[in-house]
Amino acid sequence: MNARVPAPRADDDGFFLPDFCQAPAVLAIVLIAALLGFVLALARLSAAGEFWIELARTTAFLLWAGLLCAGAWCRLRPWFARKPARTAIAWALGTMVGVVALLSVAVCLFGRWWLTRFGAPSAIFPHQWAGFVLPNVLIATIVGALALRYFYVSQQWRRSVELEARARIHALQARIRPHFLFNSMNTIAALTRTQPARAEEAIEDLADLFRVSLSDARTQITLREELEVARIYQRIEQLRMGERLRVEWDVAGVPARAIVPSLVLQPLLENAIGHGIEPSPAGGTVTVRGWCEGDSIVFEVANPLPAAVAAPPRKGNRMALDNVRERLELAFPGRSGLDVLDGDGRFCVRLRFPYVGDGRSEPTAEPEQEPVARAS
Amino acid sequence: MDHSAPPAAEATPDKLRALIVDDEAPARERLRRMLEELADVAVVGEAANGTEALERCTELDPDVVLLDVRMPGMDGIEAARHLGSLEAPPAVIFTTAYDQYALDAFETHAVGYLLKPVRREKLVRAIRHAARVAGPQLARVAEQAQLGVRRSQVCTRLGDQLKLVPVADVLYFTAEQKYVTMRHLNGRELIDESLRALEQEFAPDFVRIHRNSLVARRYVHSIERTPEGQLVVRFTRCDDVLQVSRRNAAEALRQIRAGA
Repeated sequence: MNARVPAPRADDDGFFLPDFCQAPAVLAIVLIAALLGFVLALARLSAAGEFWIELARTTAFLLWAGLLCAGAWCRLRPWFARKPARTAIAWALGTMVGVVALLSVAVCLFGRWWLTRFGAPSAIFPHQWAGFVLPNVLIATIVGALALRYFYVSQQWRRSVELEARARIHALQARIRPHFLFNSMNTIAALTRTQPARAEEAIEDLADLFRVSLSDARTQITLREELEVARIYQRIEQLRMGERLRVEWDVAGVPARAIVPSLVLQPLLENAIGHGIEPSPAGGTVTVRGWCEGDSIVFEVANPLPAAVAAPPRKGNRMALDNVRERLELAFPGRSGLDVLDGDGRFCVRLRFPYVGDGRSEPTAEPEQEPVARAS
Repeated sequence: MDHSAPPAAEATPDKLRALIVDDEAPARERLRRMLEELADVAVVGEAANGTEALERCTELDPDVVLLDVRMPGMDGIEAARHLGSLEAPPAVIFTTAYDQYALDAFETHAVGYLLKPVRREKLVRAIRHAARVAGPQLARVAEQAQLGVRRSQVCTRLGDQLKLVPVADVLYFTAEQKYVTMRHLNGRELIDESLRALEQEFAPDFVRIHRNSLVARRYVHSIERTPEGQLVVRFTRCDDVLQVSRRNAAEALRQIRAGA
């Protein structure tokens, strides 16, 4: 029901080392130790005919080493997590190597004790330091480094996937503009009983508006269509705001067939209404002017600046202007511009882009139908 | 408290008296229609912004107020905070089309709210469970919702009337004993707030010049040293003079100069 992104799982604090206090991680350790023991025993098969003993001791040692290491990492994980990544990796590796070294030494000590106690070396416990402890430490270092690298890289990848998903959701939400959508729906719901015909028209308008919003950002349309989208937006806002909103259009001079990226004018109107008219209980007038200058088309959208704006302009509005500027730049590299002229109690945005026609003869941009509302 | 009740109260003795506050006429219309369909609720009035809502409340004394969160001038959360100063504050139900932080705040602090367009069943349930929301609770909601945190007006109660003073008209706040005196362009009022909370809310427009004084930067005329060596602040719109404490002197000077 809510459009909010679900909160992350409680155990996912973003630290790359898995949480070895949890059962799944411990099970993984056990399985890896068992399989690794098997592999190593197989590798030494030809050396002596003691496959099963070899398997038993190797697996036992690996299990002990793995579980002790997991235990250490489980305990120390919160402490590691507070360190920067490199330091954490070094400490984690150091812990693992330390655990393996201590275990090897302990095993060797036991082997030596066996030797002195029984006079013959144990079949299971080694008694020579150099042949046992040192190689184990080296193996632990290499395996540990590889494992940690794997954990780190896989966490980075998961993060980037998650970030991209979030970015997409945010982008979609920004285009849908939930606040506007639900407010409009509320207005339409109110009108269904009192003015059903207007409600029906409003639904059609809303559908057209969102069709354009949800289309590919790189779509290009004619200026006539873009002006129509802006007027649709005005009609919907007019229903909500009534007498508080007045819009003056002066766009007779612009060529209707000029090609523009979709949604360059409507966001300016939206900004002007949101910034200039909404915060003011008495409302105000937005002016939209368009004209040709040489082979460029210029649009100017101006709104009053309410005297004391208690809340800072929402960040989304500034981003919307930047977005329009960028898309114009993409469509007309180096030949377009968006400027903000601020002063005299009025906020004014000026758009400029080259006139790219579609080759046919040019009627003006004024649509044939009736102007939108009495107040415009 | 004895005051002449508006006619509607006598005509509807058992009904819940509701006030609808929303800046959009169609939204108010719809809520009115839906509430009128409920047998035990009577709509006693409407308001189009926070300031009007407070006026209607003092006139009509409703039991429950449906407050749109986003309104021009004073928003719904700030209005609710001022309503809390009434002797018998009404219950409050917020309405919003979509306000991510506000919804989280309402959920966290168990404050009643409705999503627009409102469903009849949810409206009925909200009315049944409507409750007052205490001042401190609203302050926390405001902060989490990122709305109405910085009030545009300060509210004091005179008998059963609410008096609102725009923050822009306040020259200074001084603390005496347990109360704070607010000196504004048209007089002074006693308010029940802490200087520290006021300082945090209205920073950086107000500067703490003394443990007991918080002054508005825009009305500071000058900072001078008296013949006795004491630093004082003089104001542009009144003759009062306030002392600057040694402890606050450096910081106060810096902040006031930064704004000039």
